Parts: sequence; structure tokens; C-alpha cells
Amino acid sequence: MAMPEKRAWLMSIGAALLFIGGSINLLFHGAPAIFSSVFRSRSQASIASDDSDENDSCADTTELAMAMTAWRQTQQRGTRVALAADADAAGTQTETTPAGGDIAPARSVADAYPSLHSVAVDPDANQVAVSDSNRGAIFFYKRNAGGNSAHMATPERVIRGPRTGMMFVAGISMDTAEREIFAVNNDIGDRMEVFPYDTEGNIKPKRVLSVPHGAWGVALNPVRKEVAVSIEHPNTVVVYRREASGSEAPLRVLRGPETELADPHGIVIDAGHNEMLVANHGNWAPLTREEQEGPEGLRGGHFALPSINTYGVEARGDEKPTRKIQGAQTQLNWPMGLSVDSMHDEVAVANYGTNSILVFRRDASGNVAPLRVIKGDRTGVLGPMGVAIDTKNDELWVTNYRDHTAVVFARAASGNMAPKRVIRNAPAGTAAVGFGNPGAIAYDSKRGQILVPN
Amino acid sequence: MSVPRILAFARLANGNEGPVRVIEGQGTKLSRTMHGIAYDAVHDEIIVPVHLAGAVLVFRASASGEEAPVRIIQGPHTRILRPETVNVDVKNNEIVVGEDVGQDVMFFPREANGDVAPLRTIRGDKTGLDEVRGVSVDPVHNLLVVSSRSGKGTTGVFVFNRTDNGNVAPRAVIAGPKSGIIRIRQLEVDPETGKIFVAVKNNLESYRFESPSPSPWNPDKPGFIGVWDINDNGDVPPRGVIKGPASEMVWPAGVALNPGDREVYTIDSVSNGMYSYYMPEFFPAKKQ
Repeated sequence: MAMPEKRAWLMSIGAALLFIGGSINLLFHGAPAIFSSVFRSRSQASIASDDSDENDSCADTTELAMAMTAWRQTQQRGTRVALAADADAAGTQTETTPAGGDIAPARSVADAYPSLHSVAVDPDANQVAVSDSNRGAIFFYKRNAGGNSAHMATPERVIRGPRTGMMFVAGISMDTAEREIFAVNNDIGDRMEVFPYDTEGNIKPKRVLSVPHGAWGVALNPVRKEVAVSIEHPNTVVVYRREASGSEAPLRVLRGPETELADPHGIVIDAGHNEMLVANHGNWAPLTREEQEGPEGLRGGHFALPSINTYGVEARGDEKPTRKIQGAQTQLNWPMGLSVDSMHDEVAVANYGTNSILVFRRDASGNVAPLRVIKGDRTGVLGPMGVAIDTKNDELWVTNYRDHTAVVFARAASGNMAPKRVIRNAPAGTAAVGFGNPGAIAYDSKRGQILVPN
Repeated sequence: MSVPRILAFARLANGNEGPVRVIEGQGTKLSRTMHGIAYDAVHDEIIVPVHLAGAVLVFRASASGEEAPVRIIQGPHTRILRPETVNVDVKNNEIVVGEDVGQDVMFFPREANGDVAPLRTIRGDKTGLDEVRGVSVDPVHNLLVVSSRSGKGTTGVFVFNRTDNGNVAPRAVIAGPKSGIIRIRQLEVDPETGKIFVAVKNNLESYRFESPSPSPWNPDKPGFIGVWDINDNGDVPPRGVIKGPASEMVWPAGVALNPGDREVYTIDSVSNGMYSYYMPEFFPAKKQ
């Protein structure tokens, strides 16, 4: 590219960046939004270590006006030059401006509303927290929020924004004694953030801990002052000190063929019975060539039935589960979040694949049917990800990924029963788009459809 | 991320619009980390990798709900470790599988089912391949185009002969500062025009436990869709780009082509969004 053209192109990009950033910053002033900060070039490390207290929502009308002026000037210069000539017949590269440029999309599809993932309840504080894996946030509501209205419920507080470091936030857990909330970031987040209960907005976490790639669930053990994290990719559970931060090593690692961990998701600790329960989707494959070409012969990937495995809280290494709920009678189908009710000796499972909540005896084992199932068109359960039992108020909470809702049932609800309350994060009827860090795309030319795997 | 689903959107979907159908549920055998997908227009099938179960699944293209795959490539003899991406070569009746951890590209018969050995494998130090993120076959020029990301070696576009096998050097590599490629993901070749469309993600992702983790709030160098010629080699700038704030792209992870409507599609992991661009300059009218 010739230098004048290059300079003009860069100026155009810079001006456009200023304009877009300024516009969005202005629009979302006071409500930190992802687009207001994505072009900022602070390193991730500074999130945890930078103590400067800069204002992250600093746009004002002056900034916007400057951006608009710069944008108009570049447009008048005609710096979005004509399209480049194609490659010559020999395929050699020419010194021309590349074709295309900063082209606005003809269409874009995104979910402007939260995609609810996990739920945690603190009945003593009268608080419920839900994680949003779409926009990287945690929403706090009053425990009795919601109702039967089609309107959106207003959260008491929201934690989100660049300083939080949250991105694909998945599991959350509330430490009711220490008044802290723990959040693990799935996918390329690879970390756990800890926030004080009563904070909100675009704040730095109190602690940040690096965790292995693929973290999904998080569970606190208040007795042992530990936190356990389920990790999908290496089929592992890692257990840390509750106060762990930085790159602190785990106290224990549970991993190996005897564990029968296979794509673990939800995790919960039953401190009263010294047990840890883990939901598995059943996917397993060797991680390395060494593991594939082991001394016992070649190993390939396989699909196991989904399961709920129980281990002692001190389980480590290649330790077997003490119990396993697995088999056709269980109705398990992509089991996600778990919640244990020690008072009534039950465990609840958010069973995504059949839009249901399954409740088993806490010590159930083998191919057993659930005690109760919440399922049906009246329940409002649609792609359940999180579940939380509140024994103090005798309620059961569910977060829906395929709808912008959390629904609340009587703890012992069963069958096709309508929820007591609904908390909406979007107007009723708003489509749930369902992207979660999508990694590929294809076009189905026969149906005129765009295919996106997650 | 959290839910391993295949979503199908109407081509003209826009705004806060949901999919017209979804493939999901235990019976589908899908897992997270599907970083590739291919549509076979001739046989009307969808092919996806299952990273966490070391498998490649083939579905009817019209599949919906908890529908089981019609074929599964999985098992020790496949030598599949953790498949990252896939492509289908209809002309030569092959499925192509790229692996990140496995650092290789494998070719299977298109109709393979079960614990089937690959027909060919490109793997080894001469290949230059590290974490393979995208594969695409150009049957017109008889080439295989691979995107590979490396922390120690070269991150870029690697071009092989389609029938290469074993530890072979690529015939061309597009990489370097002029290319703008820092992190790379899915790619697709348009054989008609001899162009390579690449999702240059340029994100900060880090999978190392000891390293500081990334944040989408602070992308360093926004990514873009880059277009190169099938004959390009070396540190050459793209011949076409979709890039910049108006494009709304930050970290594009995938790219798909619709030459009939002259459109390019991408998805972005920062905005969790899907974008459709009308790009007639990328799909010139055929000469009469």
C-alpha cells in the first residue's frame, strides 16, 4: 500500500474508532457495556494489578463531537478508496489498497439481553444471584423479586464491565458467611473472580485466581475453607484454598480413568456429609499423544452415559467415585447445575436436554429414577442451566438458558406445575439467540440458512 | 461455550432474532469446543468435530432437536485426539479433520463410520503445523489450505498439495507482519475465484495455567476477515479485508461464504454476534 493511502486509511480507521467508541460510550454512559471498551488497549494483567482508579465511562459530548468531526473529515477526503484490483493473472500481489475495508454489516444477530447460566441463593441476606454468560455479568435480585408480569425485573445490583475481568462467566457460588460471591469463567476466561457481596458496577474483583481451561462449575466448602472447580477439557476437578489467588496451585486434583469424570459440568459440595457431587455429560478423549498411545494400547475417544458422580471431599488423584447415578431410568440428559438439600436428603439437577429439573435422593446410586421431575409446558423450564434449593423459604430456583428467565418453584414441586414467580431479564417473548463464544460458521446453500456451532 | 448446540439461522436473520432450529441434547453426542463445521451441499449433510470425545459427527442437514448423527468417526484406530475443525471435499469424497492438540490434518473417506483409520495424515516437524484451527480443500487447484496457530513457530496460512501425506513441507506459507495475522481461526477457500477467506481473530487467548488470562474487554489488536489468493506465498498483505469499527468485528472466529448472494458471514466471540456482509467486490460477476 502506498504511504499516503496507508496514512489516510489509518486515519479513517482511527476516526471511525473514535466515532463509534464515543457514540456507544455516550449511549451507555453509566452502564458499562462491552462495546464501550473493547477497543481500549489495557492489558489483562492490569485488571488485577492496576490500582489506578480511572473512570471507565468517561465519554462526554465533547468527545463525541470531536469524533464526529474527525469522521466527517475523513469521509470528505474520500479515504475509503475504491476497491482494489484483483490479483493479476500470475497471482502476484500488487501495491494497492485491499478490497473491502471497514464495511458495516448488512445484518447482525446478537442477543442484547443476558443469557442466564447459574443461580445461587442466600436466604439470610434475602439475595439471589444469577450469572450472565452472554454479557459477562452477575445480577443480584431480592429473593422475592419477580412475579407473573411480562415486564423485566429490576436487579438490585449488577457487576459487569472491563474491570471485573468477567467474560464467559459460568458457575457462581455464594459464601453466605464471608459475604463473597465466586464466579468461574468458562472457555478462554480461564479464571475465577471473587467479589464482595455488596459491590456493584464496573469493579475490580477482590481476588482473581487462574484456573485450568474449561472451568464450568464452582462449589464452596465452608467447613474446610476450600473451593472446588470442575474443568471440562481435562476431565478434572481442582480444589483450592478458599482464599487462593493469582497462580496459586490447587490443594488437590481429581483426574484419571478411575474417576470416571467425563466432561464434568455442575459441582456441589455437601459439607455435612463430606461429599462432592459432579454432573458429567459423558464425553471423554485422550488429551495427549502419550495418553492416546499408553502402555495398555491405543485409546480413542468415547461417549459414556451422563452421570452424577459422588466423591469424598478429600478425593484426589485417580480416585473412584463412591456412588454414581447413571442409566436410562435416571432421565439424565446434559445434566448441568446441581444443588444439594441436606435437610431433606435430596439433590436437584438442572437437566438441560429434556427441559426438566430432576430430584434424586441424596444417596441414590445406580440406574435409579428420580423422586420428582419438574417438566412440561406450564413450568417455564427451558434449557435449564442452574438450580438452587432454598430450604429456609422452601423454594427451588432455576435459570433458563433458552429463555431470558429465572423461575421459582415450591421446593417439592413436581410435574407440569407453573412457577411461583418468574424473573425476566428481557421482555416476554424476546428470542434467546444462544451464542456463547461461537467458534465456527457455515452456510447451508440448500435451505438458505447460516449454521453456527457453539 | 456453555451449551454445545448447532444453531441454524435464516440467512436474512437480523437483530435479536433466534435460530429457526437447533440441534441439541444428549442424543446428538455434541460437545463443547466445536470450532469447525462444514456443509456438504451434494449429500445434504452437516459435519462437526466433537473435541471432548475425539469424534467427528455427520448429521442430516435438516436435523433438528435431539437427533442422532447418521455417522460417527471415533475410536483408537482413527488416531483422532481432539478434533478442532473439519471440512468436506465432495469432489474427492473425503472428510478433512484438523487438530490443535494433535497438530495434524487427517483425511477420512466421506462415508467413514466407526473406528476407521485415516487415509492420509499430514503431521510432523516439516509441516510447520502446530495448533490447526481451520482446513479447506480447493479441488480446482488440488490444494489443501490450513490455518495454524503457534506460540513458538509460525502462525499463518499453510498450503499443501491435496494428496500430501506424512511429514511434508508446505508448498506455501502466508504469514508475517504484513499479513496482519497474529491469531488465526477458521478459513474457507472459494475455488471459483481461487481466494482464501480467513478469520484472523488476533485475540489474546491464553490457555496456559501460569499465564495471565485474557479478557475480551481489552482486545489488543482487533481481528478481521482477510482474503488472499490461492497462489500467495510469504509475508503478503491481504488482497481484501473486512476490518474496522464499522464492521463491528473484534475477534472473528469463523468465516463462511455465500457466493450466490455475494455475502460473507462471520461470528465474533466478543460480541457473541453473527455478522453478514454484502461483498460484491469479493465475488465478481462471471464473464459471459
